[in-house]
Amino acid sequence: MAGHFWMFMPSWPFPATHYSELIMRITVCIAAMLSMACYAGIAEGNPVDRNAGVNQDIQALRSLEAGDESMVKGASAAARLRDASDCKLMDFLHAMKGAKPVGKNWLLGIANKRYLKEKGAVQSELGSFLADTSNDPEARYTVFSWLTEADTDLRMKLLPGFLDDPSPELRYAAVQQVLESTPEADRLKTLLSSARHPSQIVEIINRLDKAGVVIDQREHFGFLSEWKLIGPFDHVGGHNFEKAFPVEGDWQKGSRAPVYEGKAGEVKWIDHTTSHKEGLVDLASLYNKEKGCIVYGVTEFESPIAGPAEIRMGCINGNRVWVNGELVMSNEVYHSSMQIDQYIEPIVLVKGTNRILIKICQNEQKEGWAQDYQFQIRISDSTGLAITAK
Amino acid sequence: MKTALRLESMFARWGSVMSGFLVLATNLGISAVARADWPQFRGVSSNAVELNADLPIEFDGATGKNVAWKVSIPGRSVGGAIVVGNQVITTSSVGMDERRVRLHSYDVESGGQNWVQEFVARGRPYCHPTSANAAPTPTSDGSRVYTFYSSNDLACVDLEGNLIWYRSLTSDFVKAFNDTGMSSSPIVIEGVCIVQIECQGESFVAGINAENGTLLWKKDRPRKSNWSSPISYKNSEGKSVVVIHSGSDLVGLDPKTGESIWMKDISCSTVPSSLAFENRLYVPSRGLVAYDLSSSGEPSELWKSSRIGIDSSSPLVLKDRIYTIKGPAVYSGDIYTGEVKWQARVAEGSVWSSPIVAQDRMYLFAMDGKCSVTQLGDSEGVRLSLNELGEDVLGTPAIAGNAMYVRSVSSLWKIAK
Repeated sequence: MAGHFWMFMPSWPFPATHYSELIMRITVCIAAMLSMACYAGIAEGNPVDRNAGVNQDIQALRSLEAGDESMVKGASAAARLRDASDCKLMDFLHAMKGAKPVGKNWLLGIANKRYLKEKGAVQSELGSFLADTSNDPEARYTVFSWLTEADTDLRMKLLPGFLDDPSPELRYAAVQQVLESTPEADRLKTLLSSARHPSQIVEIINRLDKAGVVIDQREHFGFLSEWKLIGPFDHVGGHNFEKAFPVEGDWQKGSRAPVYEGKAGEVKWIDHTTSHKEGLVDLASLYNKEKGCIVYGVTEFESPIAGPAEIRMGCINGNRVWVNGELVMSNEVYHSSMQIDQYIEPIVLVKGTNRILIKICQNEQKEGWAQDYQFQIRISDSTGLAITAK
Repeated sequence: MKTALRLESMFARWGSVMSGFLVLATNLGISAVARADWPQFRGVSSNAVELNADLPIEFDGATGKNVAWKVSIPGRSVGGAIVVGNQVITTSSVGMDERRVRLHSYDVESGGQNWVQEFVARGRPYCHPTSANAAPTPTSDGSRVYTFYSSNDLACVDLEGNLIWYRSLTSDFVKAFNDTGMSSSPIVIEGVCIVQIECQGESFVAGINAENGTLLWKKDRPRKSNWSSPISYKNSEGKSVVVIHSGSDLVGLDPKTGESIWMKDISCSTVPSSLAFENRLYVPSRGLVAYDLSSSGEPSELWKSSRIGIDSSSPLVLKDRIYTIKGPAVYSGDIYTGEVKWQARVAEGSVWSSPIVAQDRMYLFAMDGKCSVTQLGDSEGVRLSLNELGEDVLGTPAIAGNAMYVRSVSSLWKIAK
């Protein structure tokens, strides 16, 4: 638990070392721990000592996913819980831990209204909930918003403690607060290690650059820069997004032929290393602004670790990505914006060589804004921190 | 035809009087259903006109002249506000990537906040920097409010802000997104919430059961970006028809089933919405096309005009004129022939919101928050004033009583004498 908890305790007229304060703090801590032990039952699906119907309804909301069956279940459970007298705001916040994303929003929808009714009585509990990083990150950010939207001083006081918080939203807000204070270069360098959101990272690197401190942006993000590319293959009419050209099958089997039949005759692999600071590979310039086509790219990522990770791609064209033979990303979308980390998917890395295959599809739109043909890819942990190849 | 117009105008006035009684009844607690003064994007009929509203001609954000109240709202919104009974309701999106989507209710008299609801966007929240995840205007059937976001999060709350249901349409249809942002505003008709999600990915229009959020029907749409909103009208048999348009078609749908009632191959503009008013359908399409809706069958074309300019703003009808916006100019066209009667430069700066009319004066906000007020005459439009709020405005204002509610990107304003 972080140290913010104490900020939500009543102000005491005694020096910090006074015994009565110590006793009171210990008492509040014990009460909070008992309370958390009780709520842990809800979060883990074990009914606590209360109306069984209420627990069932909260559990029902926690498990809601997409689809009509969920809608029917959710609407009836929410109707019962809205005015139920034997459950409280904190029940819904604790229940968000481990809940399905859709289910969390149902819980949040009820919690928001409960907060308006109960806020006068639960400030201390909310404080300890926010400070406990084991609680649901989205629920914690909600609590942070409730507590600080009308209290700028508290917001300023709390945010520095969230610079390395597991909640992406709290971390983002903390980094933003420092950025708004126009920090010096040394502070910016420290801030860079906390920042995870691409826009903030780019902002910090740009500011450092102006201060004379050069950071290799491509390296910081960990963009994959060395590719073997082959194409163009036929994609006229946009019909071949899912078609497996022989390149795909060969790569999955661990091989690749030196030459394939392309859109207009034989095509060969080319080696390409991007030095672009955002890791952009510009296929339009490499393939003479070809339209209605597909280019494949392969690379090997030497991972220093084994285990869960994320592949993060920015691409303004249709794209598919395979990691170690498994299709992990598929977006049949063209010219609908592009940004760093536009598409994020979980992957499992093996220690050592991880084989990556990408398929980038260009359509035949003629508008000036629909001519880009490019991508950028990186591998990160679940917070967005680059995993750097060995 | 002019007699018919006068009669319609008279009925409109009677409707207004009856609405007043309804408000009184609501205030006395007689009905649990609030009057929806301006329940959706462009108001009750999607024709953004209030003949009896007496709005100030001049107002000023800096000095507070004719600003009854203003509330700052964290985050951003480019949608319009709606007014339901004594509540003015608007959206916002806030925080990292605008992932937190909110619905706010304020008291029309004081501007005090009644309640706020919030959800975490489960769809993709990304959009162009000028837009926002909170882009669509919410809608109400008078007892509930339906709020929708670019990220395809759709929620229904009652008038006290209690959650009735929440649905993540991106969780249902994972490839339905546009990272430039989407902005189509939903409508509710005969117990069905209609959402139009047209993008390069999975593109569709759907009818959602307003009661519990279940999917009644879903119809595939062209996989091209489209930001226009659905509208509705009643045909000569009294049956409701939903109208949607895209870059490649214009379609009339049964709101209960989604079945196509009629369809036309026509390339329509993909930002402004159509208007169905007094048995005519006006469709932005390389200018404007007007159709006759007086029969229950397929609408027949009345006229087509490439001279009536139209960009992002949706059209409106006042008396026997159709008004559109192109660049800084307002166009006044004859509703019977499409002939351009006059055009006048009124706006300064680019315009994304749609104009509204109170009495015979048009209020049009440019993106930078400058609002031109133009007297609409038979032979000319005369700009009466140019008023600055000092904040960007992309949403279409709402009118209720003698007040205009303006959602700027960062605030909500009540403009009244």
